Amino acid sequence: MEQRSGSTWRMTVNEKKFIEDALVADLRIDGRRPFDYRRITIKFGREDGSSEVQLGETHVMGYVTAQLVQPYRDRPNEGTLAIFTEFSPMADPSFEAGRPGEYAIELGRVIDRGLRESRAVDMESLCVVAGKSVWAIRVDLHILDNGGNLIDAANIAALAALLTFRRPECTVGGDNGQEVVVHDPEVREPLPLTMHHLPVAVTFAYFGEGGIMVIDPSYKEEAVMGGRMTATINSNGDVCAIQKAGGEGVVSSVIMQCLRIASVKAADITSKIKNAVDAYNTERALQKVKRQSSSVAQNINIPDVTMKESNDDNASASNQTEMLVDEPERISKSEVYRSAQTITASIGDSTKRDKDTTMIGGPSNWDPYSKGISLSLIRSPKPLAGPVAVAKEQNEERMTQNPGEPNPEETTLPNSGPVESSDVSQRPSSPKSLKDAVKPKNRRKNKGAKNTS
Amino acid sequence: MRAMGMDRLDGRNANQMRPLTCSRNLLHRAHGSARWSQGDTIVLAAVYGPKAGTRKGDDPEKASIEVIWKPKTGQIGKQEKEYEMILKRTLQSICLLTSHPNTTTSVIVQVVGDDGSLLPCAINASCAALVDAGIPLKHLAVAICCGLSETGSVILDPTKVEEQKMQAFMHLVFPNSPLAVLPEGSSSKHDEPFEHGIITSVTHGAMPERGYFNCLDRGRAASAAISEFLRRSLQKDGS
Repeated sequence: MEQRSGSTWRMTVNEKKFIEDALVADLRIDGRRPFDYRRITIKFGREDGSSEVQLGETHVMGYVTAQLVQPYRDRPNEGTLAIFTEFSPMADPSFEAGRPGEYAIELGRVIDRGLRESRAVDMESLCVVAGKSVWAIRVDLHILDNGGNLIDAANIAALAALLTFRRPECTVGGDNGQEVVVHDPEVREPLPLTMHHLPVAVTFAYFGEGGIMVIDPSYKEEAVMGGRMTATINSNGDVCAIQKAGGEGVVSSVIMQCLRIASVKAADITSKIKNAVDAYNTERALQKVKRQSSSVAQNINIPDVTMKESNDDNASASNQTEMLVDEPERISKSEVYRSAQTITASIGDSTKRDKDTTMIGGPSNWDPYSKGISLSLIRSPKPLAGPVAVAKEQNEERMTQNPGEPNPEETTLPNSGPVESSDVSQRPSSPKSLKDAVKPKNRRKNKGAKNTS
Repeated sequence: MRAMGMDRLDGRNANQMRPLTCSRNLLHRAHGSARWSQGDTIVLAAVYGPKAGTRKGDDPEKASIEVIWKPKTGQIGKQEKEYEMILKRTLQSICLLTSHPNTTTSVIVQVVGDDGSLLPCAINASCAALVDAGIPLKHLAVAICCGLSETGSVILDPTKVEEQKMQAFMHLVFPNSPLAVLPEGSSSKHDEPFEHGIITSVTHGAMPERGYFNCLDRGRAASAAISEFLRRSLQKDGS
């Protein structure tokens, strides 16, 4: 279609040569060393079984659902697992909506092979009534941003989603022992899936007649590479799958070296995934305990607008000028973040950053907590690097620029470097709710209603 | 203070919306992207700027907008096609179509979480993404969902559970309130303020006429608040 041809991106000869020459000198264009991963961020959604993974610029979302179906005839007491990959057109202008291209199918197959044939997910525990009903697990992977190395990112998203997924508990009853009763999650705690091991995919790219190889290629490196190999390995050192489809020929000694490197990386990534999942599980457990207090706090929660009213009352002229002065500083800081992100992009370090859990129930919804902070900051004479002025609401996210100030994950607003802001670890939000309870609240909504009714 | 005596599950009163968050410029490949969340309903929208050529039937004198709606799970069915059509018509009315004739702008919407009020959340996200991409717009679109119960009371921004219990609910899209330099000048020109126009109204369920107009009034009041929030969040970045 002619409307798509305008959007194909072609790499210039200069760029290609530059990347290849730099690789000869062991330099990559984003500053990494040849065997460094980009920074991995794993976040979880509100529901069980939904994960968002960012590997450098690549962004993938995973979502797991389950339903009761009839099993296959030849496996009457095993559940089923199906992987669906969606190459959303938002990830890359060349991805078309509708039919998946060959790369999409290859990605789906590699992840599927890694999970199913290595028996990572325990299928027999998914059986409810042999031959009649079993659980069918469906994993949807949505590629949101194509920054290179989709296979690894999608694999991590699938694993994270499977580890945090909870299926409803069901009991078999009835007169002939064939009736299945699925219990509501509120009544009986849903159960996690049994995962025997975590197969992690590690992708290598080859350049220059197979002489040079790098791990975790970025988008531009993928456009230049001669060949690619993906090795799916678990932390025990078992090779679950290897995929090398065409491309440059590579000597077998190099392949063996790659596998050795891959097993080290796989162990590293496995520990990151486990840390993120553990953090999520503790949050979830706390959430269940806190549910009573959460409803109280939400009562206090006011839509953003009302805070604006009270803030306008409180904000002094000095605060406003302070905000104006800090604006350019904040903007330049955000620009610095953006450029830093593209150039250094980080090296796969195993910091504890990936235990950011956004959107776990209440906290991310609770703007009032941050409002609590901002109002208290007005009162206290503490100088902040970021803009303090609370003349407008939604300056909680400005606090994200301030390294010391924790922030409710991706809340609000235009951070040009949202990856950075999300790195700030989640703050305990309960103390703030009390402060907020004291504040006078103007119900602007009610005011509006009073005017109209 | 309880208006209408309604006690909602999450503790809000009838006129309270869930907390809004909007973040832009999240994706690196897309020309513009925005993530809008209202409570647990989260939508990610991405925009790819004008590409050459329109689709076969479309008018080459104007730009055309293409919307792709991606649900969280499952096949694309009629519901998604309907959302695409509504979103496309809404965005067509806010974009300056004659500034880039014979081009196609793609808007891709990905549902990240659905807890009621999904279509308004998507419209808000798409509008923010269009701004992020720099597509010329006449004005912004602000969307809100109102529910009408059997007793005739209106609640704003219902959750999924509330939507199912309501007798009727509707999605309303209004233009955002303009910021005029001379406030007197703008109001004297029109009988009715500009922001009282309705861009889109989609209703589900049967409702009495007065109920519809009540919802409209409530929706307008709320849209003023949302448009303030949107303006502030778009101005924040400055870039």
